[in-house]
Amino acid sequence: MIKATALAILITGLSAVVFAKDTIIKGDIEYGKHLAAECVTCHSALGKNKGIPPVTGWNIDTFISVINAYRSKELKNPAMRLIAGRLDEEQIASLALYFASQPKSE
Amino acid sequence: MRNLNRRQFTTILGSTVAAGALAMPNITGAASHGAKPKVVVIGGGAGGATAARYIAKDSNGAIEVTLIEPTKRYYTCFFSNLYLGGFRDYESIGHSYDNLANNHGINVVHDWAASVDNANKKVILASGAAISYDKLVISPGIDMKYDSVPGYSVEAQTKMPHGWKSGTQVQVIKHNIVNMREGGTFVMVPPPNPFRCPPGPYERTSMIAHYLTQHNPTAKVIVLDTKPKFSKQGLFMDGWQRHYPDMVEWISPEVHGGIKNVNPDTMEIETDLDTFKADAACVIPAQKAGAIAMQAGVADGDWAPVMPATMASKADPNIYVLGDASVAKSMPKSGFSANSQAKVAANAIRGELTGSRVFDARFANTCWSLISANDGIKVGASYKAGSEKIDVVDKFISKNGEDAATRKATYEESEGWYAGMTADMFS
Repeated sequence: MIKATALAILITGLSAVVFAKDTIIKGDIEYGKHLAAECVTCHSALGKNKGIPPVTGWNIDTFISVINAYRSKELKNPAMRLIAGRLDEEQIASLALYFASQPKSE
Repeated sequence: MRNLNRRQFTTILGSTVAAGALAMPNITGAASHGAKPKVVVIGGGAGGATAARYIAKDSNGAIEVTLIEPTKRYYTCFFSNLYLGGFRDYESIGHSYDNLANNHGINVVHDWAASVDNANKKVILASGAAISYDKLVISPGIDMKYDSVPGYSVEAQTKMPHGWKSGTQVQVIKHNIVNMREGGTFVMVPPPNPFRCPPGPYERTSMIAHYLTQHNPTAKVIVLDTKPKFSKQGLFMDGWQRHYPDMVEWISPEVHGGIKNVNPDTMEIETDLDTFKADAACVIPAQKAGAIAMQAGVADGDWAPVMPATMASKADPNIYVLGDASVAKSMPKSGFSANSQAKVAANAIRGELTGSRVFDARFANTCWSLISANDGIKVGASYKAGSEKIDVVDKFISKNGEDAATRKATYEESEGWYAGMTADMFS
């Protein structure tokens, strides 16, 4: 089952805090931008959808839920399990913040 | 206007504030004497184009980036096999450097880098001009070791093209396949390890067999390998058995005894087992780093050793070596690997030159291969910088017996990757 975890975000300078259901996870949009470089080798940075689904402009909750579903192996794609499997909570929150800030499609 | 609840408002505010802060360049370090720090990138392929683009894009104009690349239009090695198989037209794998200049202000110089003056930090071009750098990225790809195959030479490429740098060589292979006599024999000689794109020769075998099945169904494809094992072997063998049972024959060197000679005039390939007469052939010799890596003194033998955390050369801290030319063990020599390494180097170089934040190196690679229409397979791994080499974190590989929908999705995923990857290099 996929459930939303992030409830709110506050900004302190460059970093943001994502209040998850039970814990507080820090996200850092600049770190997210750096980490996202790994994602856009495959996922279109402009949000195009061709063979690989776009990830730009996603809702933060959805992004975190989907990544966690790959981490828990609820979702199947082995490449995504591999990439998601090595992300910690701060990295996931940072990526969620960054991709949420990107336009959905060109 | 719709009402925003507090959560939506803070989300949007957060994005805007942070994006605004990101746009401000942070210049410290090397720009002390007023001039902008300079990065020169040699080679406009998966490593070099990506490095140039990320350094220019993420430094927001704080670093002057020059890209030296002799060709004005770059034809990717990856997906050149799909062109051979008839899944792509040739122009669809060609890319221009216009966007790197237009969108990122990169100074694209179409010339050869002839040598590197390490002491004075200059690259000397074939035209005679010199370009100064604070940091130099060398991503020249491969050169061929012609004498690794007895009888092979630059001249032999006309009749037995390697096609391992994409471009016109691949067009010659296509021409030779299209014009092969009915029931003719195509011979493929894959290279010994280590070489560019480990699954590549076997995807090429698959794509040639795919084309011949449709246009010349009594033809044969014989693979005279120089290695007893190869990448995704079980997956390719299973695929050949399913799609091309009477066409493709792979022969291990343990059976044929090794390539003793190739003769481009008679199109004969001699082994201990037999002399094979080819109607068309692809002979891929052993490989080494592009010549400029030797010129720059960063190679140790055939390849250039690097520091795993930054991709900086072990021989010269102002030079970074990316992609096929580097010793990036445990990563394979692939376009995906080069692109991944380029981002690690770009982050490290920006940090050194402008004081921007440097994050821990993380690498990834996935190699997709197409066996037949909608029958795609893949192998991949994630990596981190170890003290001596780039270490595997986790890995995966497709499995025999996967359903057709999975194989089709894997192929479609590869098309998505091609679009994403080439945009990541050239947009």
